[in-house]
Amino acid sequence: MLSRQYLWPITLLHLCLGTIASPQEIFDEKLSLNTLQDGKVASKFTFTTLLNGASPRDPRTLHKEDDSQHYTLFPLALGQILREYGVTELHLTLNAGKWNYDRWGYPEEKGVGTGAELWAWMGDGANTTIDERWKGLRNSLSGLFCASIASLDELRTTSPSQSFAPEGALPDWDLPHQLRHASLPSEHVCTENLTPFLKLLPCKSLSGIAALLNPHKLFDADWHGMGVHVLWRGDEGVEVQLTFQTVSDPLRITSRKSQDWSLQSLFDRTVDRTCPVAETSQIFVTLPNRGLYSISPEPSVSKNGLAIYDVKSVNKPLNVELKWPEAFNYPLSYSSGTTPFSVKRTLTGSSQALGRLSVAITNHRTEAISVLYLETMPWLLQFFLHTLEARIDGVLAHDIISDLTYIPSVPHSRPTTFQALLHLPPKKTVQIKMDVTKAFLRYTEHPPDAQRGWDLPPAILVPVERSQNDSSSFTPLGGPVYTSTLLVDLATPDFSMPYNVIIFTCTLIAGLFGTVFNILTRKWVVVRLAAQP
Amino acid sequence: MTWIFAVQEGIYLFNHDIDPYSGGSFRHSPLLLSFFATILPNSTKLASILWAVNDVVGALAMVQIYRARQNVRQSPRDTLVAALYILNPYILLSSLALSTSSIENTLMLVSIMFACQGKASASLFILSFLTHLSLSSLVVVLPILLLLIGSPVSSLASPKALQANIKRTVSLFGEFGLYFGVLTLVSTLVCGNCGWISQTWGATLMLPDLTPTTGLWWYFFTEMFDHFRPFFLMVFNVHLIIYVVPICIKFQYDPLYATFLLIGILSLFKSYTTLSDPGLFLSMIAVFPEIFYYLRHPIVTALLHLHASLLMPLFHHLWLTQGTGNANFFYATTLVFACANGAALIDCLWAGLRIAIGPDVDGYVVTQE
Repeated sequence: MLSRQYLWPITLLHLCLGTIASPQEIFDEKLSLNTLQDGKVASKFTFTTLLNGASPRDPRTLHKEDDSQHYTLFPLALGQILREYGVTELHLTLNAGKWNYDRWGYPEEKGVGTGAELWAWMGDGANTTIDERWKGLRNSLSGLFCASIASLDELRTTSPSQSFAPEGALPDWDLPHQLRHASLPSEHVCTENLTPFLKLLPCKSLSGIAALLNPHKLFDADWHGMGVHVLWRGDEGVEVQLTFQTVSDPLRITSRKSQDWSLQSLFDRTVDRTCPVAETSQIFVTLPNRGLYSISPEPSVSKNGLAIYDVKSVNKPLNVELKWPEAFNYPLSYSSGTTPFSVKRTLTGSSQALGRLSVAITNHRTEAISVLYLETMPWLLQFFLHTLEARIDGVLAHDIISDLTYIPSVPHSRPTTFQALLHLPPKKTVQIKMDVTKAFLRYTEHPPDAQRGWDLPPAILVPVERSQNDSSSFTPLGGPVYTSTLLVDLATPDFSMPYNVIIFTCTLIAGLFGTVFNILTRKWVVVRLAAQP
Repeated sequence: MTWIFAVQEGIYLFNHDIDPYSGGSFRHSPLLLSFFATILPNSTKLASILWAVNDVVGALAMVQIYRARQNVRQSPRDTLVAALYILNPYILLSSLALSTSSIENTLMLVSIMFACQGKASASLFILSFLTHLSLSSLVVVLPILLLLIGSPVSSLASPKALQANIKRTVSLFGEFGLYFGVLTLVSTLVCGNCGWISQTWGATLMLPDLTPTTGLWWYFFTEMFDHFRPFFLMVFNVHLIIYVVPICIKFQYDPLYATFLLIGILSLFKSYTTLSDPGLFLSMIAVFPEIFYYLRHPIVTALLHLHASLLMPLFHHLWLTQGTGNANFFYATTLVFACANGAALIDCLWAGLRIAIGPDVDGYVVTQE
């Protein structure tokens, strides 16, 4: 009988010990710094929280009360949204600027499309449809990050599942999983998005690497973008990765022609304290592979051209500094390094009714490569697929384009999904051209600054190879390459005179109607004119 | 909307196993699609020959209508009538642009021609085909049915109550319905589903595409407040068919003239008008030489047309290509164009009724009470 009385406290104690022994939530922070060919510095902050043993919510339980969730490090606000809409995998990126693949190579964080991009994998089978949950997800994230993600509505939502394969695992629920993807190129990331982002971190921006996230410097960078990635790592659990990536230009801020940089010069801050809950906290610096340079302080570990600082053990305040004795000379040409091909997309034609979309892809490799080309175009631009042609050096090449998938747009709602497999011959430039029509919008559909035009989302090109077992699917060989966004100038009606137009047209129609029925109904008479005096 | 580019796009999608009616800008009937996709090779050169042949057929049909109207086997004016059709700038321009509305015009003329010759089945079949291509053509079904039971010979000058057996129209309408049903079935079989209905007929009624045309709809619904849009769509559609019965009753003694007037109504008020719609109406005036004397203001009408046809391409270019004008410029010219067509319609309507009173006599004036 005694044992029963003491059983509860003992069990509790065991539970506590168990928690301490194998932590439920693991938080890691990491900063990698990389000097680029053109003297700029790419930095990427990664904050990873792993919720051990957790799994995404089964959509079949969405209508029931959710199991209670207890988070200490995992961001609660985000966790609630994920549970509420049964999201298995989620990727949100908010970027400003155009990532220059030719000079900067592949980014560490691959979602670098200009503007906002959101894609999520969700299991079907809930009481509510995927589209309803997608709408709810957009609105919640919009509120959480103070961004116009809610305007990623059905005008911009597509489902190009081949180009956006899930990065984590999908639970085996015997339910089909579906992708929803939308991008809004005109959305710009700014301080109001960073503040809620920082709130999701366990140490905010008070200590650890996150202390370097100084909005004044981040948003001054040539390129900057933040990302939220949620994925399920199978048995390990649910992982949330918060990333912030910048490309800053040390040459811009110095009067000397020097590409020297330090944490102080890049972020105007140093790392003064460690974040106590962080499991690991590391700074990776990619060392230049040629030329004289000096790095201080001495890194904790240095291997494979990487200098690694363990923030927990090094002396603080930590101010990593990389210096070159010689002045920086801009290279005359850039080696295309990690990107096998470069892309240039333009919209030509001066008319507001017609245009031509042209994409030039140059293969830098000495072997042929296959690329999956994806356009998710709002209905503002409608493709004429029969004019699609590929040329190499001005000569028509018919075998370049294959495996065409095309979902035409629906005016005033669905966007176009256009996907094709391109075969790029070695060391050649392929020109792809297609005629397009530009839409005529209702006057209520135009944005307040209608004359500015509309931003069109970037196209996405993924190097792929055909799967061995299934000829209709592809295995990606590298990260996606985002093209620059386009600006389309649509014809505008006169915004000041809807009433006038309604009145003019109605008057004309009423006048004709009246006259016609007047003539039809009135009686004919012969009038004798009075004799002239 | 009637653009050859859109047809080619539809054929391309169709040949690549993509349903052209699953969205996009293809709004042509599946009949036209299958016609082009199977019978004709897809080349612009062949298309221009086809369009030329199509125009010649239209002109011949109009000559036949003219002969039937005059009740002669041959007339010295045949060439003139044909030339008035082929060389009408509105018709010529849309043929040069390879607009599918030229095909619709020819079908309309051929259908009227058969109706004039009393060949009911041929006329009704072509009419149902035409209605498939452009739903608005439903407006001319009633006068053509009357024409089939009546006579094409002019009796404008001697109005009398309809003498033919009106009950025959019911069976003729049944025949029309049968053809229409069969063609609908064929279209559905071609597409494999009913999605084409909302893309073709639905577009005629709902106006999803606001591309500028020569008509009155596009700018009106561009500038329409969202909450009034369904109401005004209803008003505009009902307004189009409201003329049918009054004109048919008034001109029951001359159904060909009623058909002619309703073609004028169509060219003014239908949803996606092209240049060739008013072109057909204006060319058809040649079939009714008896009314010329009674037209009140032909000069004004002609000048309005001249004004509109000179300024319309100019302002379209200024707005969309040059970027120096705005939408109101082009809208204003479409209003003038509508005035010109309205003036022509009203004048013809007036003259068609006025002719019954006889020529003017000094000291008397004929007017309406």
